[in-house]
Amino acid sequence: MIDFVQNTVDGMMFGSSYALLAIGFTIIFGVMRRINLSFGATIMLGAYIGTWLHVHHQVSVWIVALTTLASTVLVGIYVERLCFHAIRRSAVLASMVSSFVIWMQLEEAAIHLLPERTYAFPALLAAGSFELGPFLFRAEQTSMLILAMIIVGVLHVLLYRTRFGLALRAVSENSLAAAYMGINAAWVTLCAFALVSLMGGVAGYAILSTDAQITPFFGLWATFKGLIAMMLGGMGSLPGAILGGLLLGVVEAHALWYLGNEYKDLSAYLLLFGMLVLRPGGLMGQRILSREALAFRRV
Amino acid sequence: MSYYLGLAQLIGIHTLLGLSAYVLMLTGQLSLGQAGFFAIGAYSAGILTVIFELPILPALLAAAVIAAFFAFLVGFPALRVKGLMLVVATIAFGEFVRLFFFNLSWRVPRGDIVVGPDSTNGFREIRYFVANGWSPWEITAFVWTFVILIMAALWWMDRSRAGAVLRAVGEDELATQSVGVNLTAVKVTAMTAGGFIAGIGGALYAHTATYVDHLTFTVLLATFAVSYPILGGLSSVFGTLVAVVFIQGVLVEGLRFMGDWRNIVFGLLIIMAMNLKPSGLFDARTAQVLKRAVGLGAQEKSDA
Repeated sequence: MIDFVQNTVDGMMFGSSYALLAIGFTIIFGVMRRINLSFGATIMLGAYIGTWLHVHHQVSVWIVALTTLASTVLVGIYVERLCFHAIRRSAVLASMVSSFVIWMQLEEAAIHLLPERTYAFPALLAAGSFELGPFLFRAEQTSMLILAMIIVGVLHVLLYRTRFGLALRAVSENSLAAAYMGINAAWVTLCAFALVSLMGGVAGYAILSTDAQITPFFGLWATFKGLIAMMLGGMGSLPGAILGGLLLGVVEAHALWYLGNEYKDLSAYLLLFGMLVLRPGGLMGQRILSREALAFRRV
Repeated sequence: MSYYLGLAQLIGIHTLLGLSAYVLMLTGQLSLGQAGFFAIGAYSAGILTVIFELPILPALLAAAVIAAFFAFLVGFPALRVKGLMLVVATIAFGEFVRLFFFNLSWRVPRGDIVVGPDSTNGFREIRYFVANGWSPWEITAFVWTFVILIMAALWWMDRSRAGAVLRAVGEDELATQSVGVNLTAVKVTAMTAGGFIAGIGGALYAHTATYVDHLTFTVLLATFAVSYPILGGLSSVFGTLVAVVFIQGVLVEGLRFMGDWRNIVFGLLIIMAMNLKPSGLFDARTAQVLKRAVGLGAQEKSDA
């Protein structure tokens, strides 16, 4: 029983980082009705630029963190301009495929930056752990959960209390109507991309400093985990993304504990497949599903 | 010479992979799980020729049937969702298959060596062509026989009622349903046919490469599978072939001189092609121009 609770808690802590990735996918999907498959690669390249500074110029950890965030935002803007802004709105598929092709480009750039396979990633906080009753908490995972809660809180204020948030929600509700109201949808989209990349950068930094290392595989890994968590919760739903991320984390933690490491990823895909079959809209996405049915009738 | 023959085999195999996505795309569905069916075909055919020591032709057909069977099984649940959700569901399926083969270990002694899939080390001993003394020319001819057969079958299907039904489903599901077409049957049939074609492609791949491992069948391969028909356009099967020649022949091989920087240029070129021609390199207009150029159909009225 103690194991079960401990696994659930661990899963939720790690799941909070999945939730952050999923929020990134969900916002882009909401605003653009497209999936940005290079999201993970964007974060990876940003983190590689930070690590490159750390490896070659021995800068302090704070500068690494800030560089990671700044370069993630820049890479995100590059992806938006090339794969989403340049391709016309109706070509959903072309822009999805090109966002995946650009993943190759970003990964290649990251490998050129740091040619070896694995690098140590500098963490902001020292690793440690503390006990609470019979349960063990790792400090960096706990701080990840707290960080995720702060980000979600800030995001909530930004989306529901500011003019920019209103514009963003208007564009994701109906971009044509938003354009008639004088909202510059292209600008809002670019800002949303920058915002999401910033968030992704924070999530990526938190995950990488928990892992304490960075490899080129991180890009695809982050894309898949974020995508799965988003689909579990329901496309385009913010609470869904958080719920989906936590669910994914908990299921993976239990699969890891009871079945072994090789079943961890299998269980994630199985969970997603089951969810899509039984409840195609995800946990929170049924309403959105019916709205999207028209938009995706013809791919 | 053997380099060009190898390239021709690769183009043939990738054409099959692209066609498997093409069939499904006619019905308006996009699947990123084609690499999964390709993997099932590759591993099944390899296991059949290496462990069960079957000749290539029955092994190939059996592998295609196995892949088609899995496509059929996946088709029913997966086609309940559409569009981007189907994309993600099929990514999940493809990764599931990849992880399955990542964990699969089935080693049996044959003669003085142990053969079979060896989880992370891959499946090394698929040496049917070498063991039976096939020359590169014969292998290339063998691969292209299947490519031509399948392209002909699809070309013919496009001109029959079946093709019209597939395209009708892709154009407007509601209208097609209202004239009495069973949507699920059509989509599952298309999925099964796609699985069959991908299975043949995978079986040929395993035997020409003599070595497969799970890293071959990542979502990158699945993305290639769908980018061929997207880039080539859905107006005819030749579009897919043109796109494969363009990507594998011109881009991948032509950019080899750029060494490590190849992927960066490669990504940019594909994105440019998609920007400039969103409906495909070989769309209806290009086909019309080509027809006129070779003197065919000059009198035909353009229906595009």
